[in-house]
Amino acid sequence: MKTNGRQHLIIGNCIAAVSAAEVLRKQNPSDTITIIGDEEVPSYSRCLITYYLGDMITRKHLLSHNEKWYADRDIGLHLSTRALSVDAQKHTVIAEHKGKKKKFEYDKLLVATGSTPIFLKSFPYDPAGIIGMRNYRDAETLKRWAKKGKKAIIIGAGFVGLKTAYGLARQGVQAKVVELLPTVLGRMTDLEASARIVERLTSHKLIEIELNNSVTATRKQGDKYVVTYQNGAEEAADFIVASVGVKACVEFLEGTGAALTRGTLQVNERQETTVADIYAAGDVCISPHIISREWIYNAIWPVAASQGRVAAYNMSGQPAAYAGDIPMNSVDFFEMWITAIGNVQAEGADIETLKYISPRVYQKVFIQKGIPIAFMAVGNVDGAGLIRGAIVAEMPWKEFVKKPQARVLPIAGEGM
Amino acid sequence: MKAFTFKPEKCDLCRKCEEACVAVCGPAKKKSSEYVPHIRVFQSPVGPYIRLCRHCEEPPCVDACIGESLQRGPNGLVIQDEERCIGCFMCNMVCPHGAMKTLMSQEKAFKCTLMCGTKTQPTCVLACDRGALFFEEVSAHNKNIRRAKLKELPRK
Repeated sequence: MKTNGRQHLIIGNCIAAVSAAEVLRKQNPSDTITIIGDEEVPSYSRCLITYYLGDMITRKHLLSHNEKWYADRDIGLHLSTRALSVDAQKHTVIAEHKGKKKKFEYDKLLVATGSTPIFLKSFPYDPAGIIGMRNYRDAETLKRWAKKGKKAIIIGAGFVGLKTAYGLARQGVQAKVVELLPTVLGRMTDLEASARIVERLTSHKLIEIELNNSVTATRKQGDKYVVTYQNGAEEAADFIVASVGVKACVEFLEGTGAALTRGTLQVNERQETTVADIYAAGDVCISPHIISREWIYNAIWPVAASQGRVAAYNMSGQPAAYAGDIPMNSVDFFEMWITAIGNVQAEGADIETLKYISPRVYQKVFIQKGIPIAFMAVGNVDGAGLIRGAIVAEMPWKEFVKKPQARVLPIAGEGM
Repeated sequence: MKAFTFKPEKCDLCRKCEEACVAVCGPAKKKSSEYVPHIRVFQSPVGPYIRLCRHCEEPPCVDACIGESLQRGPNGLVIQDEERCIGCFMCNMVCPHGAMKTLMSQEKAFKCTLMCGTKTQPTCVLACDRGALFFEEVSAHNKNIRRAKLKELPRK
């Protein structure tokens, strides 16, 4: 039994928490590590829930970490346990488990609670028909609704919105996506790329995408939900999925004095919050842009995984700094791949763009003062990491295209 | 630590490394008969070059893998559970070596896991009779040079 070790407490049970726990155990064999998570299942990849919704993967595949994983690493796991408050002076956390309150003590606390979907007045959360798509429970709910429902309206054509529509269509539900912006996938695309993605997705007869439109109100009518669009038109559906964005889960930290930046937990490069002995990692906190060093909200999986590890090293007393990353993402729809790295909507007098356009492939690179700053590829994404490497290293484009490896990219091959 | 070294001036694109790789790790168990070597040799105006996983010390692909398919294995190897790959190609987006083989037809990404069964040398290295491909211990001397070089670079 451990008696003299430190107590590491982690709130949250997704990738930031799991990658932190793994490092903590490796660095501190005799310390106590405890994870509390508000879901009823052990850790899994949230990015896969839409694949699970579309039956592209099994439940067993989704739930990757079983109880044995925690037992092997001697990590205490408390499921269905929601943190309610933190007392930073006494170093305690009050949490709720099935209606009962529980107290946890800590020497070092890691907040990895992630983020939760945003609902607006025009489409408020309703457990009977208006939900977000964020966790295992949501995926199970949508799967259940998909069995009896015929039509769904998805508000927001971001990543989650489109992947949810794809998943629902595979379940035989007619999925209508409404997006306020003129492009899908928000900051990841331009008009040309967006048009290609829309064309590919709507080739499925159950998917419909409407851009430049928004929902101004929703009301319940019988067992249907009726939405009103900004142009006054109305449409009925069996259920609604809100995917207009996410916000950090920080409510339980109220009273600790932890500083927030635009509603997101403020941290430094060592993942320390402004409160002593409280660290944060993942979607709950901000992260630095690797080039500009600005603090941004970059809620993506790779950032969460790295931040979790950096936090764990610092919690173990080993100084480590997170270098930062750039906004980026990669996704596939019906065998069409899309990768975007950096700000692919950058504009300015000193920014020039190079394009490669063919019937199947669309690539675009943004060059500022000779240095690539962003890259977008649709159709053929092979070797995208090579350009990411050049962006991060601030390597001049002329130099990059001279590298033999760059030739695998159609857009760089031209420059030879 | 061991690492791959490639001498482009010795390579004449005979592709024996690719053939050997496919023969051992190859696609026999996979659905299609597509030729999927983990090591790929290409010609360029400045000479041949290879695309191959370098088994980075801090592999960005492992952090980026949303399907938890890529993992840190024993001895610093980067291993892959191909069953878990869902084909999002996040790994391809972050790999600075362009090592991921993005196989669109199978909606999966593949890479070298150095599991080709020979204890001494990887299959591709054994197959190379031109003296172009090596897998050897990075000497301490070499390491020090690299460290010194790294210090000169601006910190990111």
